[in-house]
Amino acid sequence: MKLNIDGLLVYFPYDYIYPEQYSYMLELKRTLDAKGHGVLEMPSGTGKTISLLSLIVAYQKAYPLEVTKLVYCSRTVPEIEKVVEELRKLMDYYTKQTEAKNDFLALALSSRKNLCIHPEVSALRFGKEVDGKCHSLTASYIRAQHHSNPSQPVCQFYEEFDAVGRQVPIPPGIYNLDDLKDFGRRKGWCPYFLARYAILHANIVVYSYHYLLDPKIADLVSKELAKKSVVVFDEAHNIDNVCIDSMSVNITRRTLDRCQTNVETLQNTISRIKETDAAKLREEYSRLVEGLKEANVARETDMYLSNPVLPDEILQEAVPGSIRTAEHFVGFMKRFLEYLKARLRIHHVVQESAPQFLKDIYEKVCIDRKPLRFCAERLRSLLRTLEIADIADFSAITLISHFATLVSTYSKGFTIIIEPFEDRTPTIANPVLHFSCMDPSIAIKPVFGRFQSVIITSGTLSPLDIYPRILDFRPVTVASFTMTLARTCLCPLIVGRGNDQVAMTSKFETREDFAVIRNYGNLLLEMSAIVPDGIVAFFTSYIYMENIVASWYEQGILENIQRNKLIFIETQDAAETSMALEKYQEACENGRGAILLSVARGKVSEGIDFVHHYGRAVIMFGVPYVYTQSRILKARLEYLRDQFQIRENDFLTFDAMRHAAQCVGRAIRGKTDYGLMIFADKRYARADKRGKLPRWIQEHLTDGSLNLTIDETVQLGKHFLRQMAQPFRQEDQLGLSLLTLEQLQSEDMLQKIAQIAQQA
Amino acid sequence: MINQILPFLSVAMASLSEEVLLVVKRVRQRKQDGTLYLMAERIAWGPEGKDRFTVSHLYADIRCQKISPDGKAKIQLQLVLHTGESTTFHFSNESTALKDRDVAKELLQQLLPKFKKKANKELEEKNRMLQEDPVLFQLYKDLVVSQVISAEEFWANRLSLNSVEHSLSNNNKQEVGISAAFLADIRPQTDGCNGLRYNLTTDIIESIFRTYPTVKQKYAENVPHNMTEKEFWTRFFQSHYFHRDRINTGLQDIFSECAKEDEKGLKSMVTQGVKNPMVDLLSLEDKTLDEGYGTATVPTTSNSSNKSLRENSNSAIIKRFNHHSAMVLAAGLRKAEAPSDQASETSSTDGNSRDSDLFQPPLKKVKLQEAIEYDDLQGDSVRKTISLNLKKSDRYSHGPIPLQSQHYSTSQDIINSISIIQHEMRSYKPRLTQVMSSSAASSAITALSPGGVLMQGGGQQTINQLVPTDVQSELKHLYTAAGELLRHFWSCFPVSTPFLEEKVVKMKSNLEKFQMTKLRPFQEKIQRQYLSTNLTGHLEEMLQAAYNKFQAWQTRRMMRKT
Repeated sequence: MKLNIDGLLVYFPYDYIYPEQYSYMLELKRTLDAKGHGVLEMPSGTGKTISLLSLIVAYQKAYPLEVTKLVYCSRTVPEIEKVVEELRKLMDYYTKQTEAKNDFLALALSSRKNLCIHPEVSALRFGKEVDGKCHSLTASYIRAQHHSNPSQPVCQFYEEFDAVGRQVPIPPGIYNLDDLKDFGRRKGWCPYFLARYAILHANIVVYSYHYLLDPKIADLVSKELAKKSVVVFDEAHNIDNVCIDSMSVNITRRTLDRCQTNVETLQNTISRIKETDAAKLREEYSRLVEGLKEANVARETDMYLSNPVLPDEILQEAVPGSIRTAEHFVGFMKRFLEYLKARLRIHHVVQESAPQFLKDIYEKVCIDRKPLRFCAERLRSLLRTLEIADIADFSAITLISHFATLVSTYSKGFTIIIEPFEDRTPTIANPVLHFSCMDPSIAIKPVFGRFQSVIITSGTLSPLDIYPRILDFRPVTVASFTMTLARTCLCPLIVGRGNDQVAMTSKFETREDFAVIRNYGNLLLEMSAIVPDGIVAFFTSYIYMENIVASWYEQGILENIQRNKLIFIETQDAAETSMALEKYQEACENGRGAILLSVARGKVSEGIDFVHHYGRAVIMFGVPYVYTQSRILKARLEYLRDQFQIRENDFLTFDAMRHAAQCVGRAIRGKTDYGLMIFADKRYARADKRGKLPRWIQEHLTDGSLNLTIDETVQLGKHFLRQMAQPFRQEDQLGLSLLTLEQLQSEDMLQKIAQIAQQA
Repeated sequence: MINQILPFLSVAMASLSEEVLLVVKRVRQRKQDGTLYLMAERIAWGPEGKDRFTVSHLYADIRCQKISPDGKAKIQLQLVLHTGESTTFHFSNESTALKDRDVAKELLQQLLPKFKKKANKELEEKNRMLQEDPVLFQLYKDLVVSQVISAEEFWANRLSLNSVEHSLSNNNKQEVGISAAFLADIRPQTDGCNGLRYNLTTDIIESIFRTYPTVKQKYAENVPHNMTEKEFWTRFFQSHYFHRDRINTGLQDIFSECAKEDEKGLKSMVTQGVKNPMVDLLSLEDKTLDEGYGTATVPTTSNSSNKSLRENSNSAIIKRFNHHSAMVLAAGLRKAEAPSDQASETSSTDGNSRDSDLFQPPLKKVKLQEAIEYDDLQGDSVRKTISLNLKKSDRYSHGPIPLQSQHYSTSQDIINSISIIQHEMRSYKPRLTQVMSSSAASSAITALSPGGVLMQGGGQQTINQLVPTDVQSELKHLYTAAGELLRHFWSCFPVSTPFLEEKVVKMKSNLEKFQMTKLRPFQEKIQRQYLSTNLTGHLEEMLQAAYNKFQAWQTRRMMRKT
C-alpha cells in the first residue's frame, strides 16, 4: 500500500499494516527531518525492520541530497541476511508499483569467511584462518613478488577484481551474501573486496556492528562513508557491551610468551633484510619522518571516520625518533614486554588508572607516553615493510601494541586491573592484566559525531532514558511503542513460591537451597506436562545451570520430565549447542515436544528466535544479574556512578532486566504467535524490577499474577494455552491490530495511533 | 544352552503327533510328580505313569510366567493365564532343578511373545471389527450367539476377507516411538538385603537396543557365549554407562567401549554441523573479537585439570542428556525415514521424476523467507500452493477412457438435437379443434392426483407405511443373517475339496436350522398380526434357490459316485 507519512509518500510492501508500524514511521520521519538521533523501542515481531526500511528508502528517494546512504547495522549473520531479504521484498514492490527500473544498490557486507569463494581458502573453518590465508595471497608485496616470480601463488579472484572490478560499477540491485558470491563467481571477482569497494557508492549497506564500532575494523572498512548517512543499530539493547568489548584488552602470560617469539621473529627478519635489502628499511624511515601527514590531510576534508585509537593530535606529529628505526622499535617493544612481564609477577590484585600506569612505566623502564601512542601505527608499518605474510601469527604483538596505544591515549574511561589468579582457583597462578574500557561512549562517539542521524532500536530498550546517558548523546526522539493486540497473545506470570510456600528466588543466599532447586524442578515438570511442543528455560549463569541440572538428576526430576518431553541442554561448546538446538527444533517439529535448557547472556538467548511451536513457553529461572564480584564490573559501576550519576543498583537491575526481557521475548515473534512468559523469581514482583521491563510486556502483567504458586501458574497457563489454541483469523485482527488503508485514514484511528507511541 | 531339544519326537500319549521342544522330568504339580512337555503350540504336564495330560495350556492362553526368586527352597515356575487362573510347577529334581527351571523359562520366554502377539492381535482385530460395524455385530449376535453357526465359522471367511487389508495396514503401521524416560521406568527396588532389583520388560530391552545400538551389539557379541542374559544386564546397570555421571571407567567394564562409541558418535554429529543455517551458532557472529580483546573472561575449557571432579561430572550429565535425547529422537525417526525413501523411489520410476526437488530453493533461502514472512500483513492473494504430486501424469491428463464410447452421444449430437427441438417448437401450431373438453380434462387430473380414483389401492403402499417398525427391524436382521448364511453357502461352490464338501453340507443344515428357528417364528408372528405374509416371500425364495442348488449338486454327486 502507499502511505502518506507526514507528507512523505511511502511504499509499504504489504496489503495491511499494524498501527504501531505507522506510528513508528511517523517518529522515524520526525527524527530524520530534524537530522538528529533517535531511540525507538518496538516489540519484536511487529515488523520493525520493514517499517524502518520502507520509510528510509522513501526518504532517500524523496530527498536524495539530504540522505545519501543508509547504513544498517545488525548483530548476527542471519539477521543481516534477513534484513536484505526484507529489502528485496520492498524493492520488488517498488518496481511493481512504479514500473520504473530499480536504480538502488543495496548490499550486505560480512567477513571473508562468509564471502570468500576461493576454493582453498573458503574451505577453512575459522574466520581467523580465512583472514590469514587471504592476506597471504592478496598482500601488496606478495602480488609484487608474483610479478617477478609467477610461481608465487596469488588469489585469482582478487587479481581479476583488481584489474577490472573497480572500473565497472556493480549493477544496481539487492545483493545478499549469497548473491554477492554468485556475482563474484560469474565475473571471477572476489566478492569480499568487491563488497568493500561497493559500499562506498551503495545506497544501502547492511553489515555488522563491528564495522562501525570496532576501531580496528572501522578504520579499514567504514572510514569513507559519507556524512549524510543514516545509521541504524538494530537489536541495539547490547550496544554498550559491544562498544566496551571492542576497546578492552586482556593480557595473559601466554600472550606475553607468544609476543616474545613475535619479537624474536621480527628481530631476525630485520637483521636478514638489513643484509639483503637495506634500502627498504631506509625508505620506511623516511616515510615515517613524513609522519602520518597523509592521513591527516584526508581527515581535514571530513571524509574519514575518526579513529578512536588514533586521536587527532598525533596525526600532526611525526613518529618520534626513538622508535623510528626498525631496530629501535623492536628494542622498545622488548622493553615494554619485559615491563609487562614484571607487572604480571604479582601476588595480590592491583588496580590502577591509565595515568598511574604511565607514570609507573616511566619510572621503572623510562618509556615515555609519546612513543607508546605510536606503537600500533609503527607496528603496522613495520609488518608491511618486512613483508610478513601471516599476520595471524603476529596477533600477540599486535594486541600488545594496541594496548600501548590505548593506554597512552585515553586517560579517562579505562582502568587497569591485574589479577594474579582466578577467584575460583586461588591456588593456581594465572595472572591476567585487564585493560578494561568502562565508557561505551568512547567507541561510539565518532559515529554520533559524524553521521547526521543515528537510530538505536530494539524490542527491548527499557528504560529508554538510560541509553542516551551511557552512550552520551542527545536524541531528538525517544519513544516506546506497544504492541496492539486483538487477543492477548503473551502471558507474563511471576512465580514467587512453590506449592510448599517456600519463596523461589535465585538470590545468592538461597540459590543452593534444596527447596528452591526442587521447586524450580517442579515448576519445569508441571509446565512440561501442560505446554505443547517446545519450552525454553533460561538460567542465570552456566555454572548455576550445571549445578541445578546435576541436582535435578539426582532427585529424579529430570527423569520425570523426560516422560513428557525430550531434554536438550546448552553447553559451552558452540558446535555442540548448535546440534542440540537443531535436534530440539526437530523434536518440536515432529510433535514429540522438547525442553531446551539455556543460559541468559548465552549465545542462544541472544541470537536464536523460538517462533510459534518452537517456544510455547519461556521460563526464566531467577534474575540474570551479572556476576557482581568481578572487579571489572565494580570498576565500571563506580565509573558510571561518578560520571553519569547512575547508581550501581539501578544499572545492575537494568542490565539484568534487559537480559530477562530478551530471553522471554524470544518466544513472541509476531501477533499470530503466542507464548507463556514465566518469571520464576519472587524479586520480579518488585516495582523496581517490574518497571524496567519493556512496556509491551509490563502492560500484560496484572496485579493478580505477581506472586503465584506453581499450582496457580499451571492453572493460568492451561487456561491461556487453551484459549490461544483456538483458530485465529485475519478478520479477528482487522481494525484492531491490523489495518487496511481505509481504516488507517479514519480520524479516530489516527488518534488512537497517536497514543501508541510513548515519549520518554 | 537348550540341550534337550528333541525335534519331531512323537509322544505316544498325545493324540496327535506334535513337535516336542522340551521334556522335563520330575516336575511336581499339585503335589504330584510328573513330566512337563513344551510343545510347538502348548505346554502340557502329565502325571507320572499316566498316558494323558492333566494340564495343557496353549501358549496363546498364557499371559505371563513367573519364577520363584533365587535362593528360595522351592524352585517353581508359575503360568498365569489370560483368564486369571494360574498353574504352578515345582521342579523337584534336586541336582538339576534350577537348571531345568531356567531352561524351561528361557524357552517359554522365547515362545510366549510370538503367540501373545498373534492371539492379541486377532482378538483385537475381531473386537475392533465388531465395534466398528453394528450390522456385523448384530449378525454375530444372530448367528453365533444363537448358535446357528460357530464363532470360528463366522470368522473363518470374515478375517480372510480382511486379511489383505489387514496385512497392508500392518505393514504401514506406525512404529511406536520410544519414551524418553524408558531408563527411568526401570525403577530399582531394594530386595531387603543390600541389593537392588531391576525389572526389565521386553519393551524396555527393545528401547535400550533401539536407542543404543552399541549395547545391542555388545549383547549379540557376549550373551550366549560369554555370559548369561542376567549377568549382562547386571553389568549394564552396574556400569558407568548407565550411571553416566560417574567418570572413572573401569577397564574390565565391557560398556566402556560403548561409551567411547557414543562419544565418537556425538563428536561426529557435532562435526557434521547443522543443516539449518539459522541455528548454527558457529556462524552466527559475523566478526568475533580476536583473542585477547573484550571484557568477558575467557572460559577455561582448555585446562580441564583445574576443574573439580564435580564440575566434570556435571558436564558429563549434560552431555549425556543431549546425547540421550538425540538418540531417542533418531531412533524414532529411523523407521520413519525408510519408507519415505521408498516412496520417492517408486514415484521416480513411474515417469514422474523427482525433478520437483530441483525446483526447491535451498534450505537457507526457505528459512530466510520463513523468517521474514508476516502472514497476517499479507493479503489473501498470496496463498501458499501445494504442488500437485502425480503418480501417473498421463492418467491425470487423459482421464479414464469409457469402455463403450459409442453409447455416449457426442456434444455435437446434443447440439443438433437441441436445434431440432428448437426448430420444432418454433413451428409448433396447436390444433385446437381436436382437444379434450375442459371438464373431461379436469376430471382426469383429479383422478390422477393423490387421493383420486386412479391413485388408490394398487398395493403400491410401501412397506414402511404398512408394517410396524419393530417388525421391520426384525425383518432387516433376518435379511442380513440370511444373506450372511447364504454367502457362506454359495462361497462353497464350486465344491472342489473335501473340506468344502463338508462345509456345504454343514451350511445347508445351517440354512435349514435358520429357517426353522428364525424364519418360521417370524412368519407365524406376522400371521398373528394379520400382516401380509408376502413379506418373507423373497427370503424363502432365496432359501429355496439354495436348496435347489444343493439338491442338484447332491444328485450329481450321487450319480458320479454310483
